[in-house]
This record gives sequence, structure tokens and C-alpha cells, in this order.
Amino acid sequence: MKKIANLLIILIAVLGSSCEDVINVDLDNDPPKLVIEAAINWRKGTSGNQQKIKLSTTTSFYSNEIPKVSGAIVTIKNSANVVFTFTEMGTTGDYICTDFFPERNETYTLTISTKGNTYTATETLKPVAPITKIVQNNKGGFTGNDIEIKTFYQDPGTQTNYYLYKYMYSNQIKSNYYVDLDEFFNGNEFFSISQNETLEKGDTIEVSHIGISKAYYNYMSVLVSIAGNNGGGPFQSPPATVRGNIINTTDSANYPLGYFSLSEIDVRNYTIE
Amino acid sequence: MNSRQIILFLVTILCSLSIFAQEKFTLSGTISDANSNETLIGVNVVVAELKTGVTTNEYGFYSITIPKGAYTIQISYLGYQTLQESITFDQNIKNNFKLFSNETALKEVIITDNKTKTDIKRPEMSVNKLSIATIKKMPVVLGEVDVLKSILLLPGVTNAGEGASGFNVRGGGADQNLILLDEATIFNSSHVFGFFSVFNPDAIKDLKLYKGGIPARFGGRASSVLDIYQKDGNSKEFHVNGGIGLISSRILAEGPLVKDKGSFLIGGRSSYAHLFLKLSEEQKDNSAYFYDLNTKLSYKLDTNNSLYLSGYFGRDVFSLSKSFTNIYGNATLNLRWNHLFSEKLFSNLSLIYSDYYYGLDLDFVGFKWDSGIKNYNIKYDFKNYISDTFKLNYGINGIYYEFNPGTIKPSDANSGINFEQLDKKYAFESALYINADHDITDKIALSYGLRYSMFYRLGQSTVNIYENNNPVLFNPDLQLYEKATPIDTQFYNRNKVIKNYNYLEPRLSLAYQINENQSVKASYNRMVQYLQLISNTTSPTPLDVWTPSDNFIKPQIADQVALGYFKNFKDDMYSIEVESYYKKVQNRLDYIDGANLIANKAIEQIILNGTLRSYGLEILLRKNEGKLNGWISYTLSKSEQQTPGRTPLESGINNGQWYNSVYDKLHNIAVTSSYNLNEKWSFAANFALQTGQPITYPLGQYEYLGINVPNYGLRNKNRLPTYHHLDIAATLTPDSNKNRQWKGEWVFSIYNLYNRKNAASINFRQNAETGTNEAVKTSIFGVVPAVSYNFKF
Repeated sequence: MKKIANLLIILIAVLGSSCEDVINVDLDNDPPKLVIEAAINWRKGTSGNQQKIKLSTTTSFYSNEIPKVSGAIVTIKNSANVVFTFTEMGTTGDYICTDFFPERNETYTLTISTKGNTYTATETLKPVAPITKIVQNNKGGFTGNDIEIKTFYQDPGTQTNYYLYKYMYSNQIKSNYYVDLDEFFNGNEFFSISQNETLEKGDTIEVSHIGISKAYYNYMSVLVSIAGNNGGGPFQSPPATVRGNIINTTDSANYPLGYFSLSEIDVRNYTIE
Repeated sequence: MNSRQIILFLVTILCSLSIFAQEKFTLSGTISDANSNETLIGVNVVVAELKTGVTTNEYGFYSITIPKGAYTIQISYLGYQTLQESITFDQNIKNNFKLFSNETALKEVIITDNKTKTDIKRPEMSVNKLSIATIKKMPVVLGEVDVLKSILLLPGVTNAGEGASGFNVRGGGADQNLILLDEATIFNSSHVFGFFSVFNPDAIKDLKLYKGGIPARFGGRASSVLDIYQKDGNSKEFHVNGGIGLISSRILAEGPLVKDKGSFLIGGRSSYAHLFLKLSEEQKDNSAYFYDLNTKLSYKLDTNNSLYLSGYFGRDVFSLSKSFTNIYGNATLNLRWNHLFSEKLFSNLSLIYSDYYYGLDLDFVGFKWDSGIKNYNIKYDFKNYISDTFKLNYGINGIYYEFNPGTIKPSDANSGINFEQLDKKYAFESALYINADHDITDKIALSYGLRYSMFYRLGQSTVNIYENNNPVLFNPDLQLYEKATPIDTQFYNRNKVIKNYNYLEPRLSLAYQINENQSVKASYNRMVQYLQLISNTTSPTPLDVWTPSDNFIKPQIADQVALGYFKNFKDDMYSIEVESYYKKVQNRLDYIDGANLIANKAIEQIILNGTLRSYGLEILLRKNEGKLNGWISYTLSKSEQQTPGRTPLESGINNGQWYNSVYDKLHNIAVTSSYNLNEKWSFAANFALQTGQPITYPLGQYEYLGINVPNYGLRNKNRLPTYHHLDIAATLTPDSNKNRQWKGEWVFSIYNLYNRKNAASINFRQNAETGTNEAVKTSIFGVVPAVSYNFKF
């Protein structure tokens, strides 16, 4: 439904003689905060043994370099207290585990120790419905002349499902993320839809459908909207700090950013015809 | 005071009529335009010897009761020649005066030119009146005369900038304005989001904006009342007028049904920019247009009874290659009956229907959406002109609401969407009110009143039940608000009361006249708002949904005090009005972070109650006469919001700190002027400047899943750049008009003369192609020249 709000903005742009200018804005900087990217993804048809957690910090808005956090102790344990250790690759801030054992609906606890603080989070691994087909429509989009990609799946009708869709394009650096829940299509065949108006024949797309929890859905809705283009305008809601599910048990006021999520994912590659 | 006591009180006052009538006689009647019989609102009827007077009401009726004797009666109205008559009060007299407008006046009745000087004596304050003639002279975007844009030039009124809908009065939300068109509530006042307003200027007679000191007959919104009256139609002669503009054209026909007794008015307006889209191969399947229709029938049954039927219907339509269609708009229908019980007791009964519809068809996701609000309103209003120093206004009002928060339908058989009807909501709002206008002495005038409002949230509905009756949970570990899961539901049958509220709303204003030319005034009012607009954007969007107060959503309660100084000087050539106000609104809704408001089945899970407060100083300096006239307005104000935690453990919103509301504008300057060079040419210029709207800048960024995420701090600490623009217009009335029936005029205008790119927003984002972060300013209008042609015959 957030798409509707975006549509409004597009319409206004169409109707008004509106224009966009990149401008220089002097921004204040907050002291760096720890950012934890602990998105455990178990791709369908793989063992899921190999997993990665990234530690970094916040930096100034215009900086092109994201500072890495090295030397942390990173572990995940499951409900049977089996511990999976993540070891840093050199000093890259990337922590790798090679013996992770994913199970659907299993509960895991993340523990990270760095610079005298301990961070923890608990989350459940969410399954996802497999992608059934990808359909290309050359008369799609708002103008009716854009290439539109729909990725279909069969939503399970037994419970509320939350989805994160990721579209990676060969023609753009940034991936597009969308969140969805089956409130209005529970139990039906449904689809994710790509919004890229500049696709051409030969471009490649990687589509991921990611099963997520309700809390992570809420988190990603805010994150996607903020990262999209939210800063204040007549039809925008006020942006805010996005708090994740990870707690600093040493100093709760010094909370980290990021999220600990565990998902089953299905990935398809597609070349525009 | 319960309702029975109030009725008793009303009856007592009615009975007191006869007691007041000793040795006094009443002059009453209606005042109308001599050429069209159009009744005139707010005409001053003054008894020169007694220095007392009344003004005509919304239906042009006046009544004044004074001791036996011979008096000089002066009747004056802006844009009309003042009329003076000697009348001997030795019996009750009915006199329907006709005024000649300045343009058409016959030489022999001219006495003086009338001025717009400030009313010093009456306790009315924080009220701005604009005549449609003034509005039509102002330069506007694309030459579209706009009723709502014109009020933005008044002190204390702002909006979110170009292309934004709604308006903000004294630091309040756009949802806090009661907008009435012939007494019917208009829920969305904008066409094309916010570019144009829904009011066809040709069909409008008069408008009045109450920013404070609101009389007891109005209620239901926290901030202001914008009272707009449609013209009745000419009951003497058939006339047509219209205009051709760049964006839209309009035509209006009016004339007698029965000469001097009945009239009709029908006006239509439509945009046609979409026709140009058809010319372009790429855009031919797209369209975007709006239209509206105003109608009115008036009929004078006899000297004591008149009937009015008025209607409005407007729609906006957008369609993009059939994959996306969006239709929305208001409709109103109002039947009114004016009845004179006596020369001192005027009554009006109104039966009003109004609705707002929003429909969306997203074919590419197989999805249709309908939402809206309907209301049925009955009003019985009495105006009792007891003596020249004491007048009463009392009445009752009942409104039944039906809200449709959303119907979701699959757009075709292959769609993956399930049909879903979000629970419709029903409510009944009623009120009893009484207001007295009381001149205590020559120098002190009071207006005091009380409104007793009641609100019932009704079934049929299924209501969620939560643990500890708490639909919003706070997670202390993550310092986050989360939606609670209902533990049960309760079903309420049709018309069963789910929750009720009632409030007493006192209203008071006072004027102390220092001398002929100066006065001080003070006012207090309490307003209770039972309907909430579920919206967390800066200005409302067409798909925002109204919802009634219920067991979780409390009514907003606004208290406002204002103090003012008023002066006419240089022989009424100039007037100055200085007012300061303080307003506090309790139970202002705030939304938890990440709340999705659209198609939300359980709004209570995402809202918290906060407080909105605003205060300010307004200065209005007007030049009332001469070739050059106009005004300068300046407002210094603050508007803030706070939503603290409900317990000490909770963070509240924005850490529970006061933060700038999106309507906070520290400085707001508007200059509007018009210059009548000669009969052929007149010119107008507007300048507006205001502090940029509060926004939130990021305090840094981080990377998550390969996305650059801006990290935002506390809300609304930064601002968009200062907003300003200068607009000019010239009106050419050709000489050839004089000798013919057809009168035409050309209006040339330039909006934003120096091409200021005012920021509508600043977005912080990662460039999709390059991957680097950037700040992007969006501006809506640059310089916009326009020409339009208006005609009448």
C-alpha cells in the first residue's frame, strides 16, 4: 500500500512543472554507532552452512567509505545450545561461519562482544514459498510502455506471511527492496513486481523472495521508506531512527543499529527478452 | 447541564420576547443587490442617532428593535453605495432594502463610498472576511482564481507550499478546519492534490474565516471554521458569466424562476489539460482532469418563508494507461427553509447530505479500492433579535456519519486479491447551542455562548479487545512501540452505542471600545473535534481516511485565548489589527514509527495521544481606499507537538520531547495590493514569504543489506529554505464593454515573477545509478505566466 503514496508523488511530478536539483546541505554528524547486519539467508536447495555477519559503524552522510568493525566475538546458538562461531576474514568486518545449521521455525540467539559491550538478539528462522514463475510484460508500468517483471508464488493460506522481495539489476548499482504481507491475498497465487523503468532487452535480474518475521517486516518497511527518499515534503511522513531487534546488554542507551534476521530465501535469475 | 435543562432555558428565552417589546418597535427585512436580488451577508444597518446597529445574517436578514422615535438609518456594505433613510419608528416596519453596487449605482442615490474599515465595536475578533471581488483580483498560479489560496495571505494562515492541499490556521492541522459550503461539510478542499481548490469562484458569494472567538453555532473542529456561501442566483434577469483559462474553463448561468421570487444558478467548471495529453502519442492513454458543478435554487414562498436547495458535485480523475485509475471528490446537497416566526425571530432549518468518495483501481496488481465518508446532517438555527443591545442565536444540530475505511476488491477474475470489506464505522454527533450578543454599555460589547456537544460511536461493528485495554505496547528492551494483538473481539449490533462522549464548549468574546477609532478585544473558545483524519503526512492526501472517536481514539479538545487591538486611522483610510493567541489541543494523534495508515484495520494499534500547542502574534495593516489598496500581514508564531510516554518507562514519540509541528512557521509575511489605474487597466501584486517548513535532516548514514540508510535523529529539527514568491497580474477591461451587453475582461498574470525555486521537499537518498548519497530538492513551480478571459452577459 505504500506504493500508492509513491504514486501520488509521481503524479504530482507529472502534473506540475516540478523539477529536482541536487543541492548541497550542511549536515551535522552524530558520533558513530555500531551497525550489525546479521541477515542469515538459507537459499532453497543449499545446505546453508556458509553464513556472513557484517559489523560496521555509522558515518557522515556524504562519506563514500563505511568504517568496518574488527576484532569482535560473534556467535549464534540454537535452542539446543549448539553454538556456531563467526570468524572475521582478516580485518574486513565480515564474520564468516561455515558450519551453520539452518532449520525452519527454529529459534536462534545472536551474541556479539566488541569494545567492552555485549549485544544480543533472538529471532526465528522464517520459511518462504518457492517462486513458481517469472512473467515479462512489455506493456507495463505507469506509462504502459515499460518492461515489467512479475515473480509469482503460491502464498500458504494457513497463517499470515511476511515477505521481503529483492530485485538486483544489471543496469543499476542499487538493489530494490519491497516488503509485503498477505493480508489481502492470503492463500492465493500472488507476485512481486519490479519497478525499474529503464530495463532493456539483455538486462539481467536476480529476484529473491525472502521469508521474514512480523517484527522484521515492520523494521524493513521503515528502512525501505527511509532509504527510498524520505526527508519531508507535503506527502511524506516524518522519518525517524529505525530501531532493530538487537539490545546492548552492557549499556542499553548505546543501542546498535541493524537487525538479526533468519530467512529461507528463493532466488531466480532472469534475462530480459 | 443536561439536555432537558438546556431546552427549558431556550423556551424561557423565547417566552421573554413579549416582555422586551414595550414601547419599542422593530425594523426588519432583507437586504439585497438591486440588480440581481442576490441577498447580501454582513451588511451594516446602523441607527445614526443611537450609534447602534446590526448586520445582516447569512440569508441577508436583519432586525433591529429600538424605542419609538424618528431615526436616520444608514445601510452600508463593501462595494456598494451607502444608503441613508429617515424612518419613524411608531410601528413595526418591514423594509427590504436594495443596494446599488459601486459599478452600477445611479447618481441620485450615491451618498458615500463604502470602506472595508475594521469593525471596532463588535466583539468579533480573529475573523477574516474576503469578498469574492477581492479574491478575483489576486494573481494566482496559472490564472486559476482560488478561494483557498487567497486566505493564505491572511495573518495566521499558512500551508505546506505550492501544490499542497489544505491550510493551517494558527499552527493547527489541516484536518482541524471545518470547511462549509452552504453549511455542508467539505472533507477534501482540493483538486489535483492541492494545486486548485474545489470552489468555483463564480458560484461563491462570500466567505468568512473564523480563526478564534468562534461562535457557539459552529463546532466539530479544533482550529477554525471556513464558512463559504454560494450565490443564490439572479431573480431579476438571466445572466451568464464564465472564464476561459489555461487549465480550466468555467461557465455559470443564473436567472429568475419566477421573477423577483425564485431564482436558479448552475455553474460548471472543468479542466482540459488532459486533452493535450491525447495529442501526444506517448501520453494518449493517460488523462488527468477535474470538474465540479454548483447548483442552487432559491424560492421565496411568501414574506415569511423561503426555500433554498443547493448542491455541489466535484471529481478528480487520473488515469494512466488503464493500469491505474484514481477518482475522488465531494458531493453535497442541502435543503434549507428560512422561516420568520416574527419580525424578531428568524429561523432556518437545514437538511444536509454530504459525502467524500475515494476510488483507486490498480489494474497492474489486480486491485480495486474504495473508501469514503457520508453524513446526514440536520440543523435548526434560531436568531432572536430581542433588542438593539441583545441578540440570541440558538439551535440544535445532529449529524449521522457512515465511514467506509476501505473496500478491497479484485479487479478481475484472475487477480490474486481477496475481497475484503474493512469494518464500516458509524457515529452520531449532536449539539445544542446558545450564543448571546450583548452590548453591556456603549463601550463594552460581549458575545458569550455555550455549546453542548455529544458524540456516539455506533455499531454495527466488531471491536477489538486488548489486554489491559492497551492496543499499543511498548517494548522496553528495544525502546519501540509495537502493535498489540487483540485477545478477543466484541460484536456490537446496529446502532448500539460502543462509546459516547459529551463536552460543554464555552465561547466568549469581549470588545472594549476605547474611542470611535480604537478598541481592544479578547476571546476564549473551547472546540471539541470528534472526527480524526488518519494522516501523518505534512499536508493531507486525497486517500487519507476519516475515522470517528471511539473507545481508543479520544476527541481532540482545543482551548484558545486571544487578545487584540484594533484601530482605524487617517479618516478610516487605514486600519490595523494586532492579535496574539495561545492555543492548546489535547489528544492530538501521533503515530508510532513505521505505522502504515492505509487500509489499516486496527488504527488504535498505531496511535498515541499527544498535545499540540501554538502561540503567536498577528499584525494586519490594511489600506482601505484609494486607487491603491491592499494589506500587509505579518505573523510571528510557534507550533509544537509533544507525545510523552504513558508511563515513566516509555520513551514517547521523539523521546517525549516537544518538537516543531510540520505547520510551524516562525515568520509569515504577506503583502497584497491592487491598483486601479483607470477604467481600462487595473493591476495587482502579491508577495509571500515564510520560514521554511520543518523537516528532519540525517545525522549520518550506514549500510544495511547494501542499502545506504540515512540515520535520522530527533524530529523536525531542520528546515526547508525560506519560501517566498512575488506574483503580479494585470486586468484589461476593454472600452468596447460600455456599449454592449457582453462584458469581457482579460487577466494577464505571472506567478513567481523572479522564478524562485521554492523547495517542496528535500530528499536524502542514494543515487540508483552512481550509488553515492545525495540531497535532492524538489520544487514545483518556477515562473508561471498565464492569461485568462472572463465574460458575462
